[in-house]
Amino acid sequence: MTGSLRRLALIAIGVVVVGALSAAVAVAHGAGSAATIKNGGTLTIGLAEEPDALDPTIARTFVGRMVFQTICEKLYDLDSHLNVVPQLAAALPQVSADKLTYTIKLRSGIKFNDGTAFDSAAVKQTLTRYLTFPGSVRKSEISPISSIDTPNATTVVLHLATPYSPLVAQLADRSGMILSPKALASGGTFAQNPVCVGPFMFKDRVAGDHITVVKSPDYYDKSKVHLDSIVFRIMTDPSSRTAALRAGDIQVEDRIQSTDVPTLQKDSSVTVPKAVTIGYQGITLNLGNKNGLLKLPYSTVNTDLAKSQDLRTAFDAALDRTTINKVVFNGLNQPDCYPIAPVSPWYKPTVSGLSCDLHANTSLAKSLVKASGISNPTVNLMLGGTDPVTARLGQVIQSMEAAVGIKVTVSPTEFTTSLNRADAGTFDTYAVGWSGRVDPDGNIYGFVATKGTLNDSGYSNARLDYVLNGARKSLTTKARTTLYRVAMQIIHRQRPLIYLYHPVNYYGVSKKVSGVQIYGDGLIRPQFAGFAS
Amino acid sequence: MGGFLLRKAGAALIVVFLSSVVVFVGVRALPGGPAQALGGENRDPDVVKAINHEYGLDKPLPVQYVKWVSHAIRGDLGLDARQLPVAHTIVTRIPITLELAFLSVLLGSLIGVTAGVIASVRRGRAEDHAATTFALVGLSVPHFWLGLMMIILFAVDLHWLPASGYVSFRQDPLGNLEHMLMPAIVLGTGLSAVLMRQTRSSMLTSLNADYVRTARAKGLPERIVVGKHALRNSLITVTTVIGLQLGALISGAVITEQIFVIPGFGRLTLEAINERDYTLLQGVVLVAAAGYVIVNLLVDVVYSLLNPRIRVTGSGP
Repeated sequence: MTGSLRRLALIAIGVVVVGALSAAVAVAHGAGSAATIKNGGTLTIGLAEEPDALDPTIARTFVGRMVFQTICEKLYDLDSHLNVVPQLAAALPQVSADKLTYTIKLRSGIKFNDGTAFDSAAVKQTLTRYLTFPGSVRKSEISPISSIDTPNATTVVLHLATPYSPLVAQLADRSGMILSPKALASGGTFAQNPVCVGPFMFKDRVAGDHITVVKSPDYYDKSKVHLDSIVFRIMTDPSSRTAALRAGDIQVEDRIQSTDVPTLQKDSSVTVPKAVTIGYQGITLNLGNKNGLLKLPYSTVNTDLAKSQDLRTAFDAALDRTTINKVVFNGLNQPDCYPIAPVSPWYKPTVSGLSCDLHANTSLAKSLVKASGISNPTVNLMLGGTDPVTARLGQVIQSMEAAVGIKVTVSPTEFTTSLNRADAGTFDTYAVGWSGRVDPDGNIYGFVATKGTLNDSGYSNARLDYVLNGARKSLTTKARTTLYRVAMQIIHRQRPLIYLYHPVNYYGVSKKVSGVQIYGDGLIRPQFAGFAS
Repeated sequence: MGGFLLRKAGAALIVVFLSSVVVFVGVRALPGGPAQALGGENRDPDVVKAINHEYGLDKPLPVQYVKWVSHAIRGDLGLDARQLPVAHTIVTRIPITLELAFLSVLLGSLIGVTAGVIASVRRGRAEDHAATTFALVGLSVPHFWLGLMMIILFAVDLHWLPASGYVSFRQDPLGNLEHMLMPAIVLGTGLSAVLMRQTRSSMLTSLNADYVRTARAKGLPERIVVGKHALRNSLITVTTVIGLQLGALISGAVITEQIFVIPGFGRLTLEAINERDYTLLQGVVLVAAAGYVIVNLLVDVVYSLLNPRIRVTGSGP
């Protein structure tokens, strides 16, 4: 090669190398830039249901909690691993040895979104409201609190009548949301203009259409807030919600229906984050609810399943949870036999290692049907909804049970009507779920304790009551996990409830947006999100 | 004319009163009360009791009815489950559905009446067959399917129009029309099919009438014969049909509002039923009943204006 040609070749190689390096730098810089959030803009979120009253005292809906995330911070919050962490409190509470006194230190220098100072008096006023307001839904969640002291502006002392371990978890939800005293004193309906401490503040609401919140000038950590406003649009039809996301009308979609997940996963303009939730879906068996919920004492109802534990075990053994998940939900949920989800920090010590066969055991089921002594057993399965997916679930269960000799008749029922029938005890089995609570007490006690307010099964077991009440009062986490493990075994053996799976929620997020967080509680957390620059 | 109107108005008031009784009793016949719906998955007995007390459901039915009616007469329809004033919610949502209904009627009438006139004038020919086919398709295609197909094509694929939502005309006139165009087409399709058939049938009758033969014999241009003489008489029946369809349109808007996520009155009704929000449901159904009665009253008035015989005899031929 001549000298000039060699020079040209070297220059060419150099250009290629520099070009490659520049491209690599550009890509790296670009990837970093994609994660950079710019300030400004309005984020629009399509919610699957409409929030009820925007007053934490009486609020009940799951989606309402998503709105509250932006406008009403709590004493405590959850981190991505569902551990309780301080939010308006400065630290986790100091708990006395007898678990009857909780001392909570508060952050200082914080204001409500109307400029009022946040202090211990405001906390006391709010908690007292939760305990005494007529129709307060929060009362049962913090009922063991007997008195509240405020020795100074940044300290609250809660005195309990009885030990209650789920208390801190309750204060990490609506029971821990603190309301502005000025707003409460204004005399108007708090829900029409809610004021708390939050990165955003309430602006307006059009019933059935949207709720708008705007950036708060009084928030204590303003630098983390990027958006000017967030609009929560009420879009109950899942197909419309998905279409709106794909058309760019909304940037975040709440809970995509399972049939739309593959389509959105192929859409290059959106990401589809998922969250294995702390809730569960299962089948409640009516064992003793003859006269209605909490009409004690419960007594065995005259159905095949209620009369025979063998038959209940057969019913469970006939169910192939993996196949149910695959056929009904396209494999998108998480099959399980217990109410505590793997995503919960309580899962490992309470459930891990316990017996759980996700596949059907038809030979065992058939032998147990025979052993029950009941010829031609019949079960009615009430479905808590009339949508196609729920109907499919009923049909799959029906065919699985038919294979072992149990005849199942399916009754699709409108949701509120099904709740009414369940409470009245006019059902045999009921396919329904629970959105889940961080503390295991929230997923268990109400459903299987004799005095549980959600015990539609009418199940009454003195030993289980002793175990569950003990878990509420236990002084250590180890004692609680031991007791819950015993409770799981009792429930699994006697089967007042048969757990099928934990819902995995799928969400749609436009790639133009960054910083939307979703944890195992299933709540969309948009407060520190923003548009990517 | 005055006596005719008084008689009609009196009958309307009686119908509204009877509707209020039916509404009141009917909502309470729904399985599952507000306590189950509002309590949701958390049905603490104390909360259920408080909800029943808040709604006055622990009082005797006649007491509940008198309390509700006495407030309703003053325009106070109570607070809904969201703690928002029911009257305000209804007042803000009715105009949206009325706008949707108006645009649907406008589009449906323009298309339906025009197609019907053409079909009648060109009876038995290609235009008549095309119009009849269009009517058949328009009546057969379900609204929800048509709506979803239009959303996929025009919003998701082409990005020409928004997929859903509503913007008020005052806030953004162009945005309002963009949001309402697809819903109005979906809702108006069925109406245009009905009107096409009705117009065609009425026009055929009118075109064969003696006065039309006389008009032609006088040498009037065909467009005057058709447009001024035959069509005007045909519009009497068409107007009646539009009046009847308007009521059905407003209630049929439920599906369209649900698909296109329009915060209208139809969707409000569905929400109230699903949530067992008694206060909202009572208010919504009462207003709907009153609306029907008023529309039919207006149709009677318009009918009497078009046909003077109605004013004199108080009834049709």
